[in-house]
Amino acid sequence: MQTFLEILNPSFLLFPALLGSSVLGLVCPLVGAYLILRRTVFLGLTLPQIAGAGVAFAFWLHQMGLLSNMGGSERTIGMAGSLLFTFLGMGLLGYLEHRGKGLSEGRLAAAYSLAGALTILFIVFNPAGEVEILSLLKGEVIALSRTEIKILLGVFGSVLAGVLLFRREFLLASFDRDLAFLLKGGNLFWDIALYLLAGLSIAIGVIMAGPLLIFGFLVLPPLAARPLVRGMTSFLSLSSLLGVLMAFFGFYLSVRLDLPLGPTDVTVGCCLVFLAYGISRISSRSGAAVMVSIAATVLMSSCSARVTEAPVPEAKAIHAEQLWLAKVKNSTALSLLLPATNPLRSLAEMVGKISSDYRQSVMDLLRDSLKTELEQRGFRISLPEEKDARFVALPADTGAAVRVAREGKLSGLVFTSEIRRWEVEAQKFVRVLVEFKLIRIDDGAVLWERRIQRAVPTPSATNVGQASTDAVRAIVHDLFAG
Amino acid sequence: MDEPRPLVSLRGVSLGYSEAVLRDVDLTIRPGDLIGMAGPNGSGKTTLFRAILGLLPILNGSLERDCLLSDFGYVPQSTSLDAIFPLTAGELIEMGSYGRLRPYQRMPVEEKEKAKKSLDQVGLSHLAAKSFFSLSGGQRQRILIARALMVDPKILILDEPLSGVDQDSRTAITELLIKLNREDRLAIFFSSHDLEMVRTVADKILRVDKGKTWWEKEGPLSS
Repeated sequence: MQTFLEILNPSFLLFPALLGSSVLGLVCPLVGAYLILRRTVFLGLTLPQIAGAGVAFAFWLHQMGLLSNMGGSERTIGMAGSLLFTFLGMGLLGYLEHRGKGLSEGRLAAAYSLAGALTILFIVFNPAGEVEILSLLKGEVIALSRTEIKILLGVFGSVLAGVLLFRREFLLASFDRDLAFLLKGGNLFWDIALYLLAGLSIAIGVIMAGPLLIFGFLVLPPLAARPLVRGMTSFLSLSSLLGVLMAFFGFYLSVRLDLPLGPTDVTVGCCLVFLAYGISRISSRSGAAVMVSIAATVLMSSCSARVTEAPVPEAKAIHAEQLWLAKVKNSTALSLLLPATNPLRSLAEMVGKISSDYRQSVMDLLRDSLKTELEQRGFRISLPEEKDARFVALPADTGAAVRVAREGKLSGLVFTSEIRRWEVEAQKFVRVLVEFKLIRIDDGAVLWERRIQRAVPTPSATNVGQASTDAVRAIVHDLFAG
Repeated sequence: MDEPRPLVSLRGVSLGYSEAVLRDVDLTIRPGDLIGMAGPNGSGKTTLFRAILGLLPILNGSLERDCLLSDFGYVPQSTSLDAIFPLTAGELIEMGSYGRLRPYQRMPVEEKEKAKKSLDQVGLSHLAAKSFFSLSGGQRQRILIARALMVDPKILILDEPLSGVDQDSRTAITELLIKLNREDRLAIFFSSHDLEMVRTVADKILRVDKGKTWWEKEGPLSS
């Protein structure tokens, strides 16, 4: 389990993702604050959707070979589509707004619906890579590479500088357009500058983090900050602060509870909004102080809330040597077979240990690793299927495992493992949920148990098979190192 | 004694949006003038202000200004401002200095001093840290006047400054306008639908009704 302090360590494998998330949390609320104050918040919802359609469109063209000479990574192609669609959409909406016919909200609603429909259609048109596109549209900040983080820092650093440098002009053009005209000679330039910054944040943010998270970061922190402040300076500062808190807490909960980052961040943001409106009943100044105090308290308690899990006990510690190592049960809907390119399989084939039609699975890898580690802990390992070939994998459920073991005339201790979730995402990490138990068959007592539920980082993996192999290694290390 | 050059003069001006709201407007504002404009709601008072401020093009006639647009201190109706904005009274007054500041420039000490002085002038220095929209109607109007003073105006234009204001604030605002005009020789052009109030405060009264304007002593022009 990671604590806040561990997550904050730059050497933490997911630190770049946390950094990216925090940058979004810091900057997006500043842009979103103006969208809310100008009562154009639906633009903040529609533009990310339009950007998403741009991503799907770019991938479709790429798949058809029309962008084959463009080079660059998938994200670069998606970014180009996102930018193109965002600025085209903004231009079109601006033109229609200028003409002044029809309802502004109606235009935004129509644009939102159209963009959503086009996104799905572009995905359907694209016969390959649907999973990749959906993954990009989901916007897994957790899978950001260091290069992408640098792009993110560059773009959002520029947006931050723009919002801070021109804060007076943006405020005046948003709050009192007549005075802005008298003092600055017009509003058009500042309107365009503000919407360019918004468009840039949204277009790049969507490809890095997905439409949902970007809309959440744009809107929720300013909404939470609004009832707690009196002035504009404190409004922008608190919005940014709450955005960063939303990013931190969301990230922490996502890693700790193995939840998808985008929805977790947005849920945390909504909680902040409810909390803020509750606290605002006290008074705005003390409300802001209470809000920050609560956040700090939760942060401090999270820092100290390290839960140390007990490692697998030594054989002598439980006065037993003989141990039945059951097959690992696969309760996912996936086969979890490793790809043919897995180098481990090739090696095994070369030395004649396995036949060429045999394909190793994650369950095999995990069991082999467990066997090695358990033997080092002093156990004499026996395999149930060697006693009776009818033995299949035992479930993690204690009662069921004991019953099957007794029916198979086993006695002593049995070690069970069950994989409930195993999802390799973008080769950068594997989301796992695996349960382990050490059970005494005679009385059904559970001597040790462990449930591992988290995203296991696999940064050096170059393919799906290697990611699974690295994840198995990390899990077994967790089990035996404590 | 020679009259000072007009700051604003309108000759035979028609103004409006798709069609004229006011026709044949003749108006001259000179330094030290205190002019009140009286007329019922919807008679075109705000339209005239917007034309003078360059926010609305005129349809006919001539409009000349012997000052910059940034020399106008404009006080809109406080109800026209959106209460969703979190602004303290101090922040709102500082907006008056934005025309003199470059985008990236920190607010200089002298501007902060000026903001403080403007607040003192309207007698509300104790409310600088308060939320603007939490203030009473009268206090809000006085804060908006302080913002207009922060501009260093040659002309102060006030759109219905006494609308939705309690009696104490009405007195405070009218006294303030007279003081600014008499002591600082500031040209003031304000509007109200309350003719009696305009008569009490203004030296010259422009009446507006049914698309026409006339000076009170002269009576309405026949069309």
